[in-house]
Amino acid sequence: MYLPPGIKNLSQKEFALKLSSVVFTAALLVIAGCEGAPSGEDANEAVIYAVMPSKIQGFDPGYTSGIYSAQVASEIFECLYQYHYLKRPYKLIPQLAEGMPEVSRDNLTYTIRIKKGIYFADDKCFADGKGRELKASDFVFAWKRIANIKYLSPNWWIFEHKILGLDEFREYTKSCKGQFDVDYSLGIEGLETPDDYTIVIRLKKPWPQIMYLLAFPPTAPIAKEAVDYYGKDIIRHPVGTGPFKLNVWNRGSYIELVKNPNFREEYYPSEGEEGDRENGFLADAGKRLPLVDKISWLIIEEEQPMWLQFLRGKLDASAIPKDSFGNAISPSRELTSDMKERNIRLVKIHDPDTYFIGFNMEDPVLGNNKPLRQAISCGYNRAGETELFWNNAWDVAYGFIPPMFEAYNPKIKEIGQRYDPEKANQLLKQAEKIYGGKLPKLRLTIGATDTQSRQLGQYNKRCLEEIGLEIELEFMDWPIFMEKLNTKSCQIFSVGWMADYPDTETFLQVFYSKNASPGPNHYNYSSKKFDEIYEKAVVMPNSPERTELYRQAEQTVLEDCPAVCALHRVRYILCHDWLGNYKGHVFPYGVWKYRKVDVTKRAAYKELLKKG
Amino acid sequence: MIERKIKKGRSLWQDGLRRLWRRKLVMVCFAVIVLYFLLTGFIYSAELFGWKVGPTQWQESVGKSYEPPGRENIFGTDIFGQSVLRKMLYGTKTSITVALCASLISLLIGVPLGAIAGYFRGFVDEIIVWVYSTLSSIPYILLILAFAVVLHDKSLFGHKLTGITTVYLAIGLTSWVGICRLIRGEVMKHKEREYVLAAKSYGCSNSRIIFKHLLPNVFHLVIIDFSLRFVSFIHAEVILSFLGLGEAERPSWGAMINDARIELSRGVWWQMAAATIAIFLISLALNIFGDALRDSLDPKLRVQ
Repeated sequence: MYLPPGIKNLSQKEFALKLSSVVFTAALLVIAGCEGAPSGEDANEAVIYAVMPSKIQGFDPGYTSGIYSAQVASEIFECLYQYHYLKRPYKLIPQLAEGMPEVSRDNLTYTIRIKKGIYFADDKCFADGKGRELKASDFVFAWKRIANIKYLSPNWWIFEHKILGLDEFREYTKSCKGQFDVDYSLGIEGLETPDDYTIVIRLKKPWPQIMYLLAFPPTAPIAKEAVDYYGKDIIRHPVGTGPFKLNVWNRGSYIELVKNPNFREEYYPSEGEEGDRENGFLADAGKRLPLVDKISWLIIEEEQPMWLQFLRGKLDASAIPKDSFGNAISPSRELTSDMKERNIRLVKIHDPDTYFIGFNMEDPVLGNNKPLRQAISCGYNRAGETELFWNNAWDVAYGFIPPMFEAYNPKIKEIGQRYDPEKANQLLKQAEKIYGGKLPKLRLTIGATDTQSRQLGQYNKRCLEEIGLEIELEFMDWPIFMEKLNTKSCQIFSVGWMADYPDTETFLQVFYSKNASPGPNHYNYSSKKFDEIYEKAVVMPNSPERTELYRQAEQTVLEDCPAVCALHRVRYILCHDWLGNYKGHVFPYGVWKYRKVDVTKRAAYKELLKKG
Repeated sequence: MIERKIKKGRSLWQDGLRRLWRRKLVMVCFAVIVLYFLLTGFIYSAELFGWKVGPTQWQESVGKSYEPPGRENIFGTDIFGQSVLRKMLYGTKTSITVALCASLISLLIGVPLGAIAGYFRGFVDEIIVWVYSTLSSIPYILLILAFAVVLHDKSLFGHKLTGITTVYLAIGLTSWVGICRLIRGEVMKHKEREYVLAAKSYGCSNSRIIFKHLLPNVFHLVIIDFSLRFVSFIHAEVILSFLGLGEAERPSWGAMINDARIELSRGVWWQMAAATIAIFLISLALNIFGDALRDSLDPKLRVQ
């Protein structure tokens, strides 16, 4: 999914600007509200206090589009599969499924058996208020619901052109009056349930990435009773099978989840990656999940209050605001002694994302001028950006495949894009020859208007002016920016892309010519060579050959340079020592059930603070 | 025969200026104002002729990122190592341009409308009063924000509106209400005066009466209002830039304060200080000068 520059700090989403005084007051209210909000603290109750850096849209998995909404939904709902909490590289294990799917020889039919004896949480939408057993048809219903065009799900891209008959079902829903007039009992060739515990999925063409999407919160099963009972209000009445239930939702300030007593028996994993035992991540092996009674998310949009709450022990984990970075992290990238004295732990998360400076390949100046695009790539000082803006914490990108992916090229530093002002000058001379004269002023568009984005825009501009280009800056809000991208009316733009699943395909699709705007390929890049490799690789199951193809595809893009790969984000998260089993996870769906708190340690910390 | 020298009377303006001249503080303030205007003019001509001097070279790095104020850089440097002093000086141009253009726009709309409403009364008056009552019932800042958002990146007569143009159009188009109301009331008062009645009985046309007779007699109000409103326009520009709706590419005081907001927590106070000093000086000078101008021009307040 695309990342607005505003979420560059993601979990420390910075100053949301605009009517900033209003926002600021709101933030103050949040802090004031927090004091009383978490309902009566019971000393024996294990409660995690986490932070949510943005308001969320609701708890309907099919309707969620933001990372944060998906995260919260994933604690209440479950999918067929989930990522192993400890193992790296990320590995899928069954969640609601009995085992891994049986795949037919032609890779087109997936037969998945689901676990028996799984019950939805108790809710008044069911006949007697008791949660009923999960059936295979609940999955089919949820997926058809996403296909329902009147439901306006932002997640249709998951299934588009993939499952036999589902696109036709979407066509049919166009003729329905409203989202609740759709007849979900219509059979679909590609989604069948021979019995209550079996799903058979038939695909139009091989789609190995389906496994990752079956672990993606929007594909979670939904009880039709709940949708019928609550109607549009379902966004605030989630009924799932997961370890937690929604207790309180105060849109602007507070989300509280409590343990779901109906949750099936699931246990903490007893295997992890190397070093997990030493780090204590296996101490709870075999314990029944979830490990806490309650999760309480405080919604704090400003990073400074978030940080202060963390230091006061009111939040268990927090990102570090840019301007407090020096207080928490020493120049050697370790915790400062002040933080160590407080028994705070540092967790670094290398996110699977890349920030680009993209070019519109349909622009007459840039599209036909490869040396110009390469010159801009050589002229952009990536290390300077991380130093000035990200406390030197982010990784310089040489290609667009982040290091955690299998297809990451170990030789990318030598063959990828790199800052080289001398080469930029040479290339620029070639570029002028191609253009036939002095290059015109180029326009750089940024999809945010806050301070940091403005400074970042100015930094981009300065870098490119240093190699002798003239740049005009343009700032606009994210929705307007997206619309401009979709209508191909930007020239140069700054944009980030974050992987939705650990398959390099998620990065390659943004360069595929058939995905040109309004699809995700906003560069409108079109290369026969790339398309051929992509089409071949995308239907292949994971293998060394596929990895090789992925690398070739990346190399093709880097050579043509429809975008400058700038940085990969690295998040620094601090957590107090009473928050146990906190291991960084880049697909953080359903992870809070593994985490625990030590209430006595928290109380001791607060005592210590009181004494000063 | 004794020639009696008749002492020639002083006009309102001469009298007013004489009074102003006597007050030294007011003259200092006037000098400050002139200085800001001269600086603006200087920056405009420097940009026009491509002189490479101080403020127009604000983009140049003069040191490391966030250098504190010192001998080399009086106000330190910002994130890119640019001189904050230069940015502050350059911000003068942004602010004065916006305030001046916005004032002119609001006067050009407000004064004629007020005069017409006050002179003709009746139906015309009702329409104009309705329009400005509606405008003034919307909170000022919200209205400016709405205009700024609507005008942002639109074209006007084939000319693309950029940051600063949007800002003064937005301010000018929303803030003519005050002056319009003032002129309307004053014209209503003057309408029944002898000189107007005389002009009428001579058969002067309405437009001649309004523009030749009435307006010159109420124009001192315009000047006073202008000088006091100027300050609020400078503030409005700062607020809009602070909210990210103003000048994005070139320095402005509002943008500097906006930058400083996140820098303050790491102890970088100099950008905030520089912008604040610049705003403070011009606001103070304009306020004192405006008040003095009213004291000396308003006949009712003229006590020796």
